[in-house]
Parts: sequence; C-alpha cells; structure tokens
Amino acid sequence: MTGVLAQLEFDWSQWSVPFAAQWWQETTCSVLVGIACGVLGCYVVLRRMALIGDALSHAVLPGVVIAFLITGNTGIGGLFFGALLAGLVTAGLIKLVSQFSRTKEDSAIGIVFTALFALGIVLISSLPRGTHFDLKCFLFGDPLAVGTDDLIMMAIIAPMVIAIVVLLYHPLKLASFDPVVAAAMGISVTALHYLLMGMLSATVVAGLKTTGVILVVAMVITPASAAYQLTNRLAPMLVLAGLFGAVSAAMGMALAFVTNSPTGPAMVLVATSIFAGAMILSPSEGVLFRMLRRHQIKLHIASEDVLKAVYRLAEARVACTVGAIVNRVELSLTSVNVALKTLTNEACVEMHSREVRLTPDGKQRAIGLVRAHRLWESYLVEEAGIGLDAIHTEAERLEHAHHLAEEIDKKLGHPQRDPHGTIIPTN
Amino acid sequence: MKTTIIDPQTVVESKDQLDYRAELPPDESGNMAAVSVRGLTVSYGERPVLRSVSFDVNSGQIVGVVGPNGAGKSTLLRAILGLIPLDAGSITLSGKPISQCRNRVAYVPQTEAVDWDFPVTVQDVVLMGRYGRLGLFGRPKHADRSAAEEALELVGMTEYAHRHIRQLSGGQQQRVFLARALCQDADILLLDEPFAGVDAATEQTIFNLITKLAAQGKTLIVVNHDLSVLDRFDIILLLNQQVVAFGPTNQAVNDRNLHRTYGGRLTLLDRADSALRDNRGDS
Repeated sequence: MTGVLAQLEFDWSQWSVPFAAQWWQETTCSVLVGIACGVLGCYVVLRRMALIGDALSHAVLPGVVIAFLITGNTGIGGLFFGALLAGLVTAGLIKLVSQFSRTKEDSAIGIVFTALFALGIVLISSLPRGTHFDLKCFLFGDPLAVGTDDLIMMAIIAPMVIAIVVLLYHPLKLASFDPVVAAAMGISVTALHYLLMGMLSATVVAGLKTTGVILVVAMVITPASAAYQLTNRLAPMLVLAGLFGAVSAAMGMALAFVTNSPTGPAMVLVATSIFAGAMILSPSEGVLFRMLRRHQIKLHIASEDVLKAVYRLAEARVACTVGAIVNRVELSLTSVNVALKTLTNEACVEMHSREVRLTPDGKQRAIGLVRAHRLWESYLVEEAGIGLDAIHTEAERLEHAHHLAEEIDKKLGHPQRDPHGTIIPTN
Repeated sequence: MKTTIIDPQTVVESKDQLDYRAELPPDESGNMAAVSVRGLTVSYGERPVLRSVSFDVNSGQIVGVVGPNGAGKSTLLRAILGLIPLDAGSITLSGKPISQCRNRVAYVPQTEAVDWDFPVTVQDVVLMGRYGRLGLFGRPKHADRSAAEEALELVGMTEYAHRHIRQLSGGQQQRVFLARALCQDADILLLDEPFAGVDAATEQTIFNLITKLAAQGKTLIVVNHDLSVLDRFDIILLLNQQVVAFGPTNQAVNDRNLHRTYGGRLTLLDRADSALRDNRGDS
C-alpha cells in the first residue's frame, strides 16, 4: 500500500504543463481513448457485459508481460498484439468455463480474469533480474509514459473502431437486441461478439497508460451509461457516449492540472459527474423531471378536487368558505389555497368577500368532473364487477382521466344514473 | 375460419415407436408441406429434449404447440429456425433445408426474452425484419422502410412508430414483433408464447391477426404454455419431449392425451379441464 501512496505523492505538475508538447500528446491520446471507449461502451452496457469489460482490462496483464518477455522492450506493437491476444483468450475461456461446467457466466468471468491477472503477476516476478517492468504504471496509469507511438496507435485504433461500428451498425444492433433472430437471419452472432471483444481489448490496452487497469472500465461504462439516460435511439447514444468520453478525457486533464492530481482518476470523476448530471436531467428517466411531473399532476388533481368541492357545496347550498372546502377534501389548508389561486387564474372561481363562487366556466368544468366520476363508478360496477362500497375511492382517482368519460358513456349505452342512483349530469 | 384439411381419421397418437411418422396428406395443390419435421431428436448434453418428433404443417394452417415446462417447445422452434444442431432427423421447409431459405422463417420472441430498455423505437424494431436481406454492410433502403410502414399499418400500430418500445402495452409489444415478422416477408411464422401475460382483448386481437395471416397462406406455429387458448387452434400438437398427439383440436385434445402430456400433474390438468369446460362460451 505504501507503494500506492508514494505513487500518489508524486508531483504530477512537473509533466502536465498545459500546451507543452507532452501535454498535447497525452491529451490527444486520452481523448481518442475516451471516444473509442465511449462508443464501444454502448455495446458493453446494452449487452450487459460490464463485468467482461473489467475482466478484459485485468486479463491483458499476462499478454503484455509475455510480449515484453519475447520482444524484450515495451514497444507498443508487441504489447498491443499481446494484449489483443490475451483479450480474445479471456473471452474464449469465459465461454468455455460457463459452457462446460455448471458455473454461471458471472462467476466464470471472475475465475478467468483473476487467474490471468495472477498469472501475469507471477510472470513479472519471474522476469530476469535487472529488467524493469513497472506494475504501478499498469495498475494506475502513467501519463508520463505516453509516447508518440502510443499516440500513433490510438490514432489508428479509434478511427478503426468508429469505422467498424458504422459499417456494422445494423448487424451489431440486431445481434445486441435480439441474438436469436439475428442468428436465424444468418448473422454470425458469435463472430460479432469476438469482434467487439477484440476491439475492446485493443482500446483498453491503449487506455491503460492513461487511466490504468483499475479505472479503465469506468471510461468504458460510465460515458455510455450517461448517454443511455438521455436518448431512446442507438445512433444518438453512440454519438453522445463518444462525446462524453472525449469530454471526460479533456476535462480530466484540466482537473488534474488544477488539483495537482493524477489524470486517470480525474477523468473518471469527470465522467461520473456527467453520468450524475444525466441521471438528474434525463427528460424521460431523470429524477428532476420525474419529480416535476409528479408535482404537476398532484397540483392538477388538487385543483380539480377543490373545484368539485366548491360545486358540491353550492349544490348543498352551504356557504363555500375556504374552511368548508378544507373539510370536504383530503388536502391541507395550504394546498387548498394554492389550488384556489390556480383556479382563480384559470377563471374557474371568483372570491366574493370570504366566499368562493364558481364562474360559468368553472361550473362547466365541475359538472364534467362529476359526470366523469359517476360514469367511472358505473363502469367499475358493470364492466369491472367491483362492489358498490369500493367504487367511490377508485372513481375519485379515475375521474381525473375525464377524457375517457365519453367513451364509457357510449360503451354503457348512455346511462342516466350512477350505481348509487344519483343522476349523471350532462355538460 | 377453419382451414383444416386434415382428415379426422388421420389423428395420430405416438405409440412410443422411434420411427413413428405422422402420415398427412399433401395440401390441395399437391405441394410439399410448408414445414416438415421428420424424426427430430435434439439433446442438450446427455439429456434428450426432443425424441423422434415428426409432423407436417401445410401452408395456411395454424398449429398450436402445447406442453408443460421443459417439454421442448422452444427447442422445437429453435430447431426449425436452424439454430441448434440436430442429433437425428430432418426439418425441411417446402422440401428445402432452412440454411437455403432463412428469410422464409420469422420468429416472434417471448415478451420476457426481450430487453425492453434497449434504445430502439417501434419503427427500428420493425425495420429489423429487413436486416436479413441487407447483407453485412447494407443500409435499409426506401423499399425496406416502406415495407416496415406497411407492416405497422397491418397491425394497426402506425401512430406508435416513433415511440420507444418500453412505452407500449403488452398487446402493443406483441403486435410490434408480429409486424417485424411480417416485414421480413416470411411465409412461416413461429410465435413463442404470444399470449403470455396479455388480457382477453389483446388475445383476441392477436388471434384475429394470425387468422388473417393464415388466410393469406402463411403458416403459423404458435407455442403456448397456457391451455386456456387450446380450443382456438385448428390443429394442436401436444408435446412432451415426443409427440403425444397431433391433429385437429377436437380429436387431439382429450383427457387421456392431456394426462399423458402433463404426466399426471393433476393441478395443471385440473386447470386445463376447467379452462376447457367453461372457457370462451361468451367471447
């Protein structure tokens, strides 16, 4: 653990001088990694392979070490092919274990990647004396190590990933959404799976130097998950995820400089902030919009309930004060006041000294509500077979769906009276 | 609508012989059966799932496949789709193996098997029916899009084209996947439990739709878990790893066959009996 802390105490500012050549190299490489990870991440998220993404990043260690053993240096080409091979072997082994044992896939993934990671560490310790293999760099990333050849490799991988995803957009979409039908149509689902695994390993090994093994999976799943919150179509999701990945990388670099911290974690924190923002602001799923919608519906229902109460009080010829309304509805005084204010604005009620009176418009609307309530009661008894004692509460809720009242009226053959024998008003 | 052209005399019950064949006459035009399954045997590992299953379905017929959990119903569909290796036997579609005519068969998956959160709209899903003919790098053309529109129109879902699939009711979801199958222009449709978890009105809609399709000469094989829909099919295949009975519904479905299909699971049988007794006199 002291090793980790020593790593974190390192003065990062000495290399990340903005706009210096090294900074440009590092930033460009990270942005490319961010884009490729984001785009591939969409498929990882949608195919529920997040754990595989994590597994791939860990399992490339033995591949990298073996490549290092063979080539004797950290040349990018050897490492790349070592990692790619390790990634595909991982994916194959996972399939094998889950197919030929009763082990389920998640456990199979756990067994395979920990085993390969352990093998990688054992291989490192058996490296000949004097060779330097930086495990810390592998685990936590080391932006200092990003060289021109890394940049060149990423400048090839990222456009290739995008090109493949664009070209195979339709088969990948179908194979991810409905593998059975894809296979029935003659699309090779297995080949596409290994293609994705291969692209993912290639991208992950390139991302290792920027974020390290432990955090690189965040660059894969977090931007894609953020994009998933914001759209209902696959193509916009891919574009957004790539964009979020790029933004996370660029802003992570800035954050790292400002806070004098390592870049990888800074990128992950930016990506997580984007995800949190998407979670809150998503138009369909977002916490904020959901709360807002619920609040609006509550206000709407409250004002309709108050309107009906005013109508009933007038019917019963009782003085319609605010207090009388509060007694009739299950709402607080504040809610009733808010509802009355809304209704006044909508010109449904008027205040005459301390008494509330319906305007002609308000009366019309109230009759509509009462009509809906009584029609729903009739419907519940006749069509749904619900007992008389239970229908009122249910109709109290359903009456707010008053746009369906006329359909019920037609379906029931224009009933005159509700199940309690009260006349159903017409408007 | 009854398109049954099977002679009631040919109702067959398996006699547990391995080389059993369902001898069925060819359809009126003298063509080969749309789907012909011969001695089909499939196993997962050591465990056999289907044992010498044979039957013929002619075009325009709707076959209801009924059997308990683990009876091999879904396996049968997968075998017809050509997705699993066969231990023995053969499946031909109008005399050709599936590998030569993949586009002729469409599959409507179980609602539970679909990822309803996947970012696709109704239109996207229906258009997927055309992917089989696009080739690996192809893009949907104008003709594909209009085929998708037509299919949506046919199932009455045009106005929902731009909705996300999660925003649909159970019946609407079924109709979207039916539209995808139609868009595929297949003449053999395999439906996996289309009536699971839908209300009576939706059930009716789906039945109307598949009856219409059968009248157009499509062949439909419909897998069911629930026995309550039994009497709506022209032809029933009672399946429990092997064919228990195959033939016109009123002939194939009787207490003895149901008992054999469900292996004396009395609770299920009771449910079946009551469902058959008091069902749908009113609808």
